[in-house]
Amino acid sequence: MAEVVYDHASRIYTPGARPAVNELDLSVEDGEFVVFVGPSGCGKSTALRMLAGLEDINDGAIRIGGKNMVGVPSRDRDIAMVFQNYALYPNKTVGENMAFPLKMRGLSKTEQDQKVKAAAATLGLTEFLDRKPRALSGGQRQRVAMGRAIVREPQVFLMDEPLSNLDAKMRVGTRAEIAALQQRLGVTTIYVTHDQVEAMTMGDRVAVLKLGELQQFATPAELYDRPKNAFVAGFIGSPAMNLFEVPVADDGASLGGATVPLTSEQRSAISNAGLSTVTLGIRPEQWTTSGAGSKGVSAQVTVVEELGSDAFLYGTLVTDPSQTIVVRAAGKSGAKIGDKITLNTTDSALHLFHPESGERL
Amino acid sequence: MSTSTTTPPAASAPATSHTASAPSKRSTGNVIMAIVSWVVGIVFFFPVFWMVLTAFKQENDAYTNPPKLFFTPTLEQFKEVLASGAGPALLNSLFATVVSTLLVLLLAVPAAFAVSLRPVEKTKDVLFFFISTKMLPIVAAIVPIYVVVNELHAVDNIWTLVVLYTAMNLPIAVWMMRSFFLEVPGALLEAASIDGASVWRTMREVVLPVVSPGIAATALICVIFAWNEFFIAVNLTAAQAGTVPVFLVSFITSEGLYFAKLCAAATLAALPVVICGWIAQNKLVQGLSFGAVK
Amino acid sequence: MTTTIEAATTPKKPARPQSGPGSRADGWTRRFPLLPALVFTFVITQLPFIVTIFYSLQSWNLVRPGSRHFVGLDNYIEVFSDSQFRRVTLNTIVLTVGAVLIAVALGLLLALMLNRAFPGRAVVRTLLITPFLITPVAAALLWKTTLLDPTYGLVNFVLAPLGVGQTDWISSFPLLAVMMAIVWQWTPFMMLLILAGLQSQPTDVLEAAGVDGASNFGIFREITIPHLRRFIELGVVLGTIYLINTFDTIYMMTQGGPGIASSNLPFYIYQRAFLGFDIGQSAAMGVVVAILTTIVSIFALRLIFRTFSGNEASA
Repeated sequence: MAEVVYDHASRIYTPGARPAVNELDLSVEDGEFVVFVGPSGCGKSTALRMLAGLEDINDGAIRIGGKNMVGVPSRDRDIAMVFQNYALYPNKTVGENMAFPLKMRGLSKTEQDQKVKAAAATLGLTEFLDRKPRALSGGQRQRVAMGRAIVREPQVFLMDEPLSNLDAKMRVGTRAEIAALQQRLGVTTIYVTHDQVEAMTMGDRVAVLKLGELQQFATPAELYDRPKNAFVAGFIGSPAMNLFEVPVADDGASLGGATVPLTSEQRSAISNAGLSTVTLGIRPEQWTTSGAGSKGVSAQVTVVEELGSDAFLYGTLVTDPSQTIVVRAAGKSGAKIGDKITLNTTDSALHLFHPESGERL
Repeated sequence: MSTSTTTPPAASAPATSHTASAPSKRSTGNVIMAIVSWVVGIVFFFPVFWMVLTAFKQENDAYTNPPKLFFTPTLEQFKEVLASGAGPALLNSLFATVVSTLLVLLLAVPAAFAVSLRPVEKTKDVLFFFISTKMLPIVAAIVPIYVVVNELHAVDNIWTLVVLYTAMNLPIAVWMMRSFFLEVPGALLEAASIDGASVWRTMREVVLPVVSPGIAATALICVIFAWNEFFIAVNLTAAQAGTVPVFLVSFITSEGLYFAKLCAAATLAALPVVICGWIAQNKLVQGLSFGAVK
Repeated sequence: MTTTIEAATTPKKPARPQSGPGSRADGWTRRFPLLPALVFTFVITQLPFIVTIFYSLQSWNLVRPGSRHFVGLDNYIEVFSDSQFRRVTLNTIVLTVGAVLIAVALGLLLALMLNRAFPGRAVVRTLLITPFLITPVAAALLWKTTLLDPTYGLVNFVLAPLGVGQTDWISSFPLLAVMMAIVWQWTPFMMLLILAGLQSQPTDVLEAAGVDGASNFGIFREITIPHLRRFIELGVVLGTIYLINTFDTIYMMTQGGPGIASSNLPFYIYQRAFLGFDIGQSAAMGVVVAILTTIVSIFALRLIFRTFSGNEASA
């Protein structure tokens, strides 16, 4: 077990073009579960593959347990990886698949058997040990891939979207199992996903990437409550945070014919930056709704997503129908398409971002 | 198609990314391997190169020890080959090849359709039958074929070759076309059917445009086999319908001592298929393995 | 183009729901496109073989008109007691097995070589496949004259420093000479087949093996070779089927000689039928060859069908 350090590590496919991963700089503590998340093309998989030794590190360094990994082949890095499509060896049985990393490290046959049996028992694979991967279901294959990773007791686990080929229900179940397994084994784990829910629920800390650049590296709560920029704010949370570019008035921000109150610190941050407009971020649950006619931001409902426990109302501002808005309301509130509603917020933890740079104010 | 390499860049990863630790060591290895590959390629190709080179020599340049690499090129050998009967042989080969290939496509495309997209019952048996005819050695059937052809007074008739070449290539074409048809997404056919297209219209307007590269590859493979065929041709033709390989054999009997002339004749005989093969190289394996390997 | 093995739908897959399958009319509209090809193939390739069996039971020599009569299995008895036939059968086996194995071994090396990226790879591949495309008669001519000629041939010229001197390959080692030409022509085929196999390997499986601690050789032995096994088997059986019928090369290079030293079955049957005009005898030999080939074919067919339907679920 070991800590992992990306030290300004870059992956450059074509010199001169935008690097696939640009000077990634972060430290993962020993035993920590870290998730790399971002939209496709953000470099999260590339960053993982650099750690795995499957991509070159063109600049900077990556250290595992203090040892520089530049130029070290995968096989000498003492890592284990779960691939998106599992990458099981089709000609080997489940048992042979799981024993393979042990065999390659020259363990005796009895040791191999013992470790494979233990891992198989943990993952409920005992009865499948003699089967070939093609005779397994998707979920079982996923477990074999996990099993092949854990038998080794490596320094670091790497997981590249390991749940993306499972159906929705199984994904939720397996998500919890992986998190629990990692807790128990205490092995440093880097997990790549494009799904922000997976990232938030599994990671001790989450690294959000975009176009090869690290946006923010923090705990899920921190990411949610204090997103560092408008991109992170919009990416984390479902439905996404409402982002409006609004003019600043004396006591708040003008939105939809009403004024959204801002705290004195927020106002001074705006004036310090010398801004007359600002990007205002309000999460769907930071709104309170009341009927038409009361004082506040008025909106018209266009879509109602009734979930039972609560409902998401999608709408447009009455003053500017091109501006969409999302609100979390109580479940079974009876809101209908076409309803006019009035929105207010009393939350002092609204988010403000620079309208050009997107940085948090 | 043509000469482009089809490996995605990632396919080379196992070779490069796991090898040497230091980048410099890795690139030295790569340079050496590249040089070795080129040398091997050139060695394999050299006899062909030498054949073409010799075809442009005067006879006295062809007979030297050590062999001559530099000389004054001449087209004389080609002229002489064409003057001694290569012309009709080339025409015969062209006719037998093109007509039999067209017939093959005419028969194979509907048949392949009937064993893939709109399958008959017992598709597997039908496929088995077609392939098993390919496994039967022609030598086991040549005697009665000769007797029958002789009875019909069709010996030394180019149409005899057309018919036999069609039968020879048909099974390969059915299997190959089937593998192309199976690549057509089922949803495409269902969409056409929901849009109200008849089977015939679906075939013509939806399926054929999608598989046309496959048809072209199949045709090229048939051309290669028909052009190169020798056994049937030598047994069933003589002066009238002799094809290029037959001509070549008679030529070596009469002109056996003239290397340059022989090389010119061999170059003329081989050139058309070499070009077809270069164009079809990515589909060669698919054709020869009955579509089992792409 | 993709280079994966076809994850083919099995032929028994249910009919697509275009028109209700099962009805009589529907059955015939399905069968109709198939019939011309089926009938044509049957008439041209199967009838002659049945006739061959019929002929093989007769004594019939074209140079003795009126000699034709039914003799039962006499021709077969004669074939099996013919020491020349046995020698030629042995030649056929040596030639076929030898050429196939050498071509597969060389093809494997060339395929591994071509599976690496290097400048001009497409050109080298094109150079390498060319021997396979050369008309076999022309290739044989090339070997007989410019390559293996005792005085002026390139092979002796290249080997001269090794002290091989003026070997007359074709008269001293006729079967070997024929085999050289065949190997030269068929190695590219094996190479292409195995290369298709190499390129159909999923990259992530190779990466996984690297991460799991396998060396390059370990990956090759544990992952690549088992994956290639099917392609190599396919190469062996297909090569065998194609090469058992070798005729052109022998006809051109050696005429089966000296004596019958380099004759194989097709060439020997050809001689008996078309030079000896012994229809009954050659028909019987044809039947024997067909039976031998069928044994190989059964393996071949099984492999081809397995390759077609086996890979579906292994992703």
